[in-house]
Amino acid sequence: MGNIKTFGASMQWSNVLEMVHESRIDSVGLNERVNSLATRSIKKDSKLEALSMVVSMCDLTTLEGEDTEGKISQMVAKAIKPNPLDNSVPSVAAVCVYPSLVGIAKEKVQNSNVKVAAVSSYFPSGQVPMESKLLDTKYAIDSGADEIDIVINRKAFLEGDYRKVYDEIVALKEVCQDVHLKTILEVGDLKTYENIRKASLISLAAGSDFIKTSTGKLSIGSSRQACYVMLKSVLDFESETGVKAGIKVAGGIRDAKDAIRYLVMINEEMGSDWLNPESFRFGASSLLDDVLKQIKKLKTGAYQAGYYFPRG
Amino acid sequence: MIDIKKTYKNYVHGKYVRSESGKTYTKELKNEVYELPLTSKKDIRDAVTSSKDGYKKWSSTTPYLRMQILYRLSEMIEGNKESYVELLMYHGLTKQKAIKDIDESIQNIVWFAGLADKWEQLAGNLNPVSEEYFNISHQNPIGVIFSLSGSDVSLNELLMSILPSLTVGCSVISYSEENSVLALKFAEDINNSDFPSGSLNILTGKFENILNDVSKHVEINLVALHKELGNDGLKAIEQNASESVKRIVSQPSIEGLSSILPYLETKTVWHPKGT
Repeated sequence: MGNIKTFGASMQWSNVLEMVHESRIDSVGLNERVNSLATRSIKKDSKLEALSMVVSMCDLTTLEGEDTEGKISQMVAKAIKPNPLDNSVPSVAAVCVYPSLVGIAKEKVQNSNVKVAAVSSYFPSGQVPMESKLLDTKYAIDSGADEIDIVINRKAFLEGDYRKVYDEIVALKEVCQDVHLKTILEVGDLKTYENIRKASLISLAAGSDFIKTSTGKLSIGSSRQACYVMLKSVLDFESETGVKAGIKVAGGIRDAKDAIRYLVMINEEMGSDWLNPESFRFGASSLLDDVLKQIKKLKTGAYQAGYYFPRG
Repeated sequence: MIDIKKTYKNYVHGKYVRSESGKTYTKELKNEVYELPLTSKKDIRDAVTSSKDGYKKWSSTTPYLRMQILYRLSEMIEGNKESYVELLMYHGLTKQKAIKDIDESIQNIVWFAGLADKWEQLAGNLNPVSEEYFNISHQNPIGVIFSLSGSDVSLNELLMSILPSLTVGCSVISYSEENSVLALKFAEDINNSDFPSGSLNILTGKFENILNDVSKHVEINLVALHKELGNDGLKAIEQNASESVKRIVSQPSIEGLSSILPYLETKTVWHPKGT
């Protein structure tokens, strides 16, 4: 295990090991802190601002076998103008699709500021040889993806082969070059807070620009607790290396209220500098619908129905 | 013996819940003083979310099963007849009137149970056209109904504000002011009759507190007022409702087949005749 310095890796392996081995988490304290952050009262004006912010941080996502060109163009239209009747609602940050649909998505976003993200490295399981993961990623980038979401090798991670997890991310970052790389930890598979912290640090050290909670394909998606562990890892990593990474939460965040709780946590633990789409994202399919409903509810005072908002 | 008192709660999504506001209002009857949940804006929001879900389940239930569930409701009330009569007498009704009210209620439930798999044949039709196709008006339930029950204390009256829309497959939020103790007792029989959760939610309180929220809520498709409101109240409701094109029916008919008509929406389809 030599100290190989490769493209994009933010920290050499020997240092990674040191950090990883120090991972100890007080879960009782963590739960208490996270729960107390969830009880902050948000006043109406702040809520409206927060909801607008949530929209601008959304990665509007469709990752299904049934995705078609039509479905993607519908989703992209919604991503650019989430509520056609209200111009004050911003565009979302990005649309997130499978590699084979990147070309279509790219064509549809045209010159809007919506980015195209692709999941690759054989999302969601990642259970293929490395060559295939590299090819998958390269294909997505060649098709024009601005951002790449990869999954970590959970098999290797759970077997204790952290080096392999690190090396794979390093190799994928090399393919990405300056294309934004988000690494999915799939916290539902990792089970413990210590594992989430270890996986976060390994992914950050290997050069990930973002770490992301989940694929959204498991019944256990994101949780505020997992996000808390990850944000602490990001902060620790920043103080160690000076490299500032972002966080994306995805999977199971369905309502506006829950999304705002994440924002509160980021604001209080990391500071308002992190409250922007460059540092924090939501992976969303149904979340956006609820946020749009709540924005209109705040503006009109009437509870809204989903069928008055665009599908996609 | 310890005297155990019942806590009356709203019935939402198959569960007995207190108002999220924690507020109650007092109702004094002959036997004792009742504290009833004072429904808030957020309770209405939760009830509508539940009713949306209940509508999906209840409207896709086969008419045959709907009939059986409604019939089971009559069985439940029959079994609890005495306690209903007692409660009505606490409200000041004579025993004779109380028994009559319950008997009529049971009969009406059975009548609507029978209608559950027949209303579509009766209310829909084949339209006369002079071309080579069939033109059919097919009836569908409208969706989520908010029903304000009448001011007389009567199980039958309460039922007649619920049954017509429930029979055709709408989900109903039943709201009572004067009838509240009775309505919350009735919720227990609903709970025992296999209605899918959310198909019928029962709330109590002061209508004026939630008038605006109900009439503005986009996901409520129809507001049925079985109680006379002042002109100002009705006008406010209609104005609020216009934003979401919500239907408002004031004191709709509760007679026979005409009772279900306000809760139906017509879909007309045509189909070529084979030659």
